[in-house]
Amino acid sequence: MHQSERRFAMAITMPALLVLLLTTTFPLGYLIWSSFQTLNLAMPFLDGFAGFSNYVEMWGDSRYWHAMQLTGIYTVSSVTLQVVIGLGLALLVMQIPRAQWVFRIVAILPIVLAPVVVGLFWRTLMLAPNFGMVDFLVQWLGFEQINWLGEPIPALISVIAIHTWQWTPFAFLVFLASLASLPGDVFEAARIDKANAFQRFWHLTLPLIRPAIIIVIIMRAMISLAAFAAIFAATGGGPGTATEILNLYAFKTSFVELNFGYGSALAVSLLIITMAVSAMLFRLRTARTVKPQ
Amino acid sequence: MTQAGRVTLRGINKRFGSFTALKNVDLDIKPEEFFALLGPSGSGKTTTLRMIAGLETPDEGVIEIAGKDVTFAPPGDRDIAMVFQNYALYPHMTVRENIAFPLKMEKVPAKEIEPRVVDAAKKVDIDHLLHRRPGQLSGGQQQRCALARAIVRQPKLFLLDEPLSNLDAQLRLQTRVELKKLQRSLNVTAIYVTHDQEEAMTLADRMAVFFNGEIMQIGTPDEVFNRPDSIAVAAFIGSPPMNLLPAQLDGSQLKVEGRTIELDRKPTATPMAVTMGIRPSHIRIDADGIPARLYLSENMGESVLLNLYIGEHLVKVRANENVSLDDGDIVPITFDVNAIHLFDAQTGIRIEN
Ligand SMILES: Nc1ncnc2c1ncn2[C@@H]1O[C@H](COP(=O)(O)OP(=O)(O)OP(=O)(O)O)[C@@H](O)[C@H]1O
Ligand SMILES: [Mg+2]
Repeated sequence: MHQSERRFAMAITMPALLVLLLTTTFPLGYLIWSSFQTLNLAMPFLDGFAGFSNYVEMWGDSRYWHAMQLTGIYTVSSVTLQVVIGLGLALLVMQIPRAQWVFRIVAILPIVLAPVVVGLFWRTLMLAPNFGMVDFLVQWLGFEQINWLGEPIPALISVIAIHTWQWTPFAFLVFLASLASLPGDVFEAARIDKANAFQRFWHLTLPLIRPAIIIVIIMRAMISLAAFAAIFAATGGGPGTATEILNLYAFKTSFVELNFGYGSALAVSLLIITMAVSAMLFRLRTARTVKPQ
Repeated sequence: MTQAGRVTLRGINKRFGSFTALKNVDLDIKPEEFFALLGPSGSGKTTTLRMIAGLETPDEGVIEIAGKDVTFAPPGDRDIAMVFQNYALYPHMTVRENIAFPLKMEKVPAKEIEPRVVDAAKKVDIDHLLHRRPGQLSGGQQQRCALARAIVRQPKLFLLDEPLSNLDAQLRLQTRVELKKLQRSLNVTAIYVTHDQEEAMTLADRMAVFFNGEIMQIGTPDEVFNRPDSIAVAAFIGSPPMNLLPAQLDGSQLKVEGRTIELDRKPTATPMAVTMGIRPSHIRIDADGIPARLYLSENMGESVLLNLYIGEHLVKVRANENVSLDDGDIVPITFDVNAIHLFDAQTGIRIEN
């Protein structure tokens, strides 16, 4: 590139770069820095460099391991549900010859809602005891009343269901687009080769939309790991710590207990886990395409 | 005779919405025949083939394969193989897996599959490429892979939709020969869609000529070339196709372009308006002939194609290469009397003696 051109390019990208630096890199650096500090607004007289002591404390913190376990359960189950239900719905809608666009529009609605709204919506309208719709339905079907958000296991199931409800449409839309772009004649060839519907799904559809499935898993896993607003609005991590995933624990430590140093360490650990998981999934994505024979 | 490989279509009609793609199509394809469906683009060849494959169902009519009514049977129940225009190979499978797929679906025991795959691959000369994926093959190799996948199950009926159209000219000629050889050696029926009449002529035992969803003529390449049933077929077959000129027929006398030609036959008793057809190679340059003005001469290598105008009618004449003429020259031409085809000017139907 010419010298002046390069300078011009610098000039126009600089503001964006600066904003990016200020909003992402700087907070990240600050987060990592504070994770090595004792930084507790409740006990400011103890503040100072702490070395790895926050991380060492985390190692022996049963609430941390509990949060970690919940994060795992929450992520694996909600991503699995999103992929399975989303793909199932997409396959179903593909069978409909007309008016597929209706489903596309309906599918977008939950996605565009703010997660906080979704959390509150479920908490008040759907799951609230006595007048929530789900509660009503469960009793109408003759089951015992369940305090969905007040009991540990139902609360965990509820927050997973809420997340799945909000984000399955995303998976659905991606799969629908992916299915629509599959080559039709390949499936016709398979019909002539005597493959039945299930065999066509297993031997053709699944491998051919594999990239889409993996992308959905990656994107949804990253979001699930960092989920916050909907759970916060629906249960606040409760009852007790029954739905307190890592992100919530980090938030509470920092902003409720005002222990910023330890809260930062928790957040950094979540960051590392998220990066590790996505790196693993990305490996999975490229693994098959270059499979040696 | 055994019925395996026989295909019969009776009174097939097919509509897409308000558009009629096929009108009253009747076909009877014999076992072990190489049968071509020929016609211009959009004439319904592919639709007919897809109907035989079971990928499309007719609105009216009956389809029989091997003497069995399969009009509404799914493709898998028809015991056929098909080669698609774009090959439709399974992109995520290797060539080996592609060829093995029909066998796997038929639950052929695993230890039988490999030798049959190799055998099929050898027949089309791709046994050295079994580990590759379709994306790593040339067009010709993909086409062979599609062929191998079709022959591996050894069905009696092969459907081919313009299988050579994506190959370059030289490979097309070469593969054409091999295709015919293969069909002969396998003793199977082949139904072959093409819009290339040379392909149909050279490959087919018989062919059907399609126009606008109707079959205009069924016959051997010879019959279709030498005795076209209608003006439509006459104007389509041959490259270039025959010249068509308006004429008056009265007894054995044919009046064309102000000249009277004495025919060697007497097709009608009453005078009538006809269209005279004559192939470019059946016109000779002759000093006593009808004067025509040379518009353009095209060098075809072994011969020269003269584009002449008689009045306002363009006439193409295949001439010996050593004629030296300039554009604008007056060239007198005569027609080989026994090579003249006559068609009813109104109905377009061939007039026999
Ligand atoms: N699924 C469809 N819906 C609507 N019209 C169709 C459909 N399939 C084919 N047609 C129409 O039917 C007619 C015949 O199509 P077909 O594909 O059989 O032509 P073809 O003879 O194979 O032509 P080509 O040489 O271009 O492949 C065309 O006019 C086409 O537009
Ligand atoms: Mg076609």
